[in-house]
Amino acid sequence: MVALKIENVWKYYGDTVAVRDLNLECDDGEFVCMLGPSGCGKSSTMRMLAGLEHISSGDILLGDRRINDLAPKDRDIAMVFENYALYPHKTVAENIGNPLRLAKVAKHEIRKRVQEAADLLEIGHLLDRKPMELSGGQKQRVAIGRVIVRQPQIYLFDEPIAHLDAKLRARMRSELKHLQQHLGVTTVYVTHDQLEALSMADRIAVMHEGVLQQFGTPAEIYSNPVNAWVAGFVGEPAMNLIACSCAQEGNAVNLMHDGFKITLDDRLAKAALSSGERDLRLGVRPENVRLTADPDDGMIAGTVFSRQLLGSDMLVDVLSGGDHIRVRTDPKSPFEADEKCYVSFDFDHAHLFSAETGISIV
Amino acid sequence: MASRDIVQYDTGLSRLLSVLAKVFLAAYVVWTILPFVIMIGSSMKDLLQAFTLPEVGDWAGTSALVHFTPTFKHYVALFTEESFGTYLSNSLLASVGSALLAVILGTSCAYSMSRYEFRGKKDLLFWIISTRMAPVVAVIVPLYAIFRNFGLVGTIPGLILAYTTFNLPFAIWMLKGFFDNVPYAVEEAAQCDGATRFQATLMILPLVAPGIGAFLVLCILFAWNDFLFATIIGSGAAKTLPAATKELVQPQNVQWGKIMAAGVVTTAPMMLLGLLIRRYLVAGLTMGAVKE
Ligand SMILES: Nc1ncnc2c1ncn2[C@@H]1O[C@H](COP(=O)(O)OP(=O)(O)O)[C@@H](O)[C@H]1O
Ligand SMILES: [Mg+2]
Repeated sequence: MVALKIENVWKYYGDTVAVRDLNLECDDGEFVCMLGPSGCGKSSTMRMLAGLEHISSGDILLGDRRINDLAPKDRDIAMVFENYALYPHKTVAENIGNPLRLAKVAKHEIRKRVQEAADLLEIGHLLDRKPMELSGGQKQRVAIGRVIVRQPQIYLFDEPIAHLDAKLRARMRSELKHLQQHLGVTTVYVTHDQLEALSMADRIAVMHEGVLQQFGTPAEIYSNPVNAWVAGFVGEPAMNLIACSCAQEGNAVNLMHDGFKITLDDRLAKAALSSGERDLRLGVRPENVRLTADPDDGMIAGTVFSRQLLGSDMLVDVLSGGDHIRVRTDPKSPFEADEKCYVSFDFDHAHLFSAETGISIV
Repeated sequence: MASRDIVQYDTGLSRLLSVLAKVFLAAYVVWTILPFVIMIGSSMKDLLQAFTLPEVGDWAGTSALVHFTPTFKHYVALFTEESFGTYLSNSLLASVGSALLAVILGTSCAYSMSRYEFRGKKDLLFWIISTRMAPVVAVIVPLYAIFRNFGLVGTIPGLILAYTTFNLPFAIWMLKGFFDNVPYAVEEAAQCDGATRFQATLMILPLVAPGIGAFLVLCILFAWNDFLFATIIGSGAAKTLPAATKELVQPQNVQWGKIMAAGVVTTAPMMLLGLLIRRYLVAGLTMGAVKE
C-alpha cells in the first residue's frame, strides 16, 4: 500500500528552484531516506510534506488524501527538526507531552505515554529538566520523544542526528532504525550522510540540485548507480571516476588514458560499443582495485601518492597519468609514498558513464 | 549569561583611580539621594520647620534636619482639601491603560514585523520609529487640534491615546528584537505538534514575556512621569499627579508642604514598582541584546 505519494512537485523561492519535478512513493511502514548534499532541496521537500512551506506546484498525497492545502495540524504528521526546536521554557515532560496536550488527551494518559516514550529513549530520569540543562544527544532524544508519543501516518526526520558527535551518531543510527521497525510508522528521513542513508533506509532517494537522481534500495544505489554523480556521492571512500576515451582496435575495445591503456572485458566492451560514446568515465570502487608491486598484463603503472590507515583497511592513493586512483587494500600493505606500483581493476564491478551526460552505460 | 572575573593587575595608577572612583561614587550617591531625603523630610515637617536651616559651621544645628516631630497633615490636606485621590486614580488609569494598549498593539505588530517578509518592510519600520524623532512640543499643537475635534481633550481615553501614540513605536522596535531572538522553528514545531498558527504564536509568548513585562513598566513610567501631555491634552478635567502638583504653585502662595507630599505620593508607587520587579526588568531589557 502506498502511504505517501509526491507527484510532480516543484518548489521555487522567488527565482531559485529548490525542488524540480519530484516524484516519489513510499510504501506503508517503509523507511525512506532522502540523501543529498547541503542545498539540494531536502529540507524544502520535508517542509512541504509537513505543511510549513507552500507547494509551488504538484500534489502530495498521504494515503489517498491530497494534503496540499491542509494546515500542519490537519495532516497527521510528526516532524523532528535539525536544530531540535524544543520549547525552551517547558520541561522535558511538557515538551514530549505537547502534541498530546494539543490533542486534548486526558492528563493521566499523557503522563503515562510520556513516561513510555521517555523510557524507550532512556531519558526517563530527565523528565523534569529544561532543554537548556541537556546535552546535544539528550535534546535530540527529547525531540524524537515528542514525535513518537503519537502514532501519526508519517514521521519526518530532517537531519536529526547531524549535530551529534560521531560515536553518538553511530549509536543513534541503530537505535532510530530499531525504533522505526518497532513502531512501524512510515518514515521519511533526510540526511546528507551517505553512510546514514545506506545503513538505515529501506529505500534511498538521492537528490542533487533539486532533482531526484535515483530511488532504490541501498544495495541498488551502491552497486548500480544510475549516473556518475550518484556513483561519486554514495560510498566512502568515493568511487574512482576516471575520464578516458574509448577506441576499437580489431576485436578489442580499449580505454585510452594519459597514463595507461586498458582493454575492456566483453560485458563492458559491448556496452561501450552500443552506447556509441567516445568519451567515457570508468567507475571503479576502491575496494575493486588491486594493488601489486609486480607488473602483469594489462596493469596500470603508477606511483604511491599517499596512504591513509582507515582502521581495518588501508586507503592508498596512486598517481597515474595525472589522475588519482584510490585503492582500498590490506592495512599491512607495504607500499610507501613515492614507491612505484601497479594497479588492476575488477571489471565485474566496474561501471562506465558517459563523460558528457554522466549517465550510466553499464 | 557569561559572567567571569576580569583579570586585573595592581599598579600605582590603578589604585589611585580606584580611590578617585570611590570618591566620585560617594559624591554621586549624595547628589542623587539628597533631594529625596529633603523631599520626604520636608513633606512631614511644619512649614516653619522645613525652612529652618542651620548657620554655616553650626554642626549641632544639622540635627534639626533629621530630628523633628513628623506630621502627616500635608498628606491629609492633599486628599481632603485637594482631590489628589482622583488625580492618583487618573494617573493610574492613564499610565496602566496606555501601557496595556501599547503592549497589546505593539506585541502583535512586532510579531508580524519579525515573522513576515513583505515589500517595504524596512521603510515601514523606519517610518514607525521616525514618528518618535520629532520632540513632543513640536507635535503637541496639531495633536491638540486633532484631539479637540474628536472631543478627547480633557478625558482619560484622550490621555491614554496620546501616551499610546508615543509608546507604540518604541514597543514595536523593542519587542521585534525579542521576537527575532525566538527561532521560528519553535513555532513550526508547535504546528507539527498539532497547534494552529495562532496557538503556536501563543506558545512562544512566555519566551518573550520578560521583554513584554519590562516594556510594560517602561510605558507606565513614561505616562506616569509625563507632564506635557497631562497639562495640554489632559487639560484641567483629566488631571494626573504631575499636572496637579504644578497647580499647587499659585502666584501668591507656593504650598511647599503639599508640593513635597505630592512629590512623595508621585514617586513612591514607581519606586516600589521598580524595587519589586528590578530583577525581571534587567532580565527583560538585556534579553534582546544577548544571543545564547
Ligand atoms: N526560505 C528560503 N528562501 C530562499 N531560498 C531558500 C529558502 N530556503 C531554502 N532556499 C534555497 O533552496 C535550496 C534548497 O534548500 P534546502 O531545501 O534547505 O536544502 P537542504 O535541506 O538539502 O540543504 C537552497 O539553494 C537554498 O538556498
Ligand atoms: Mg536542510
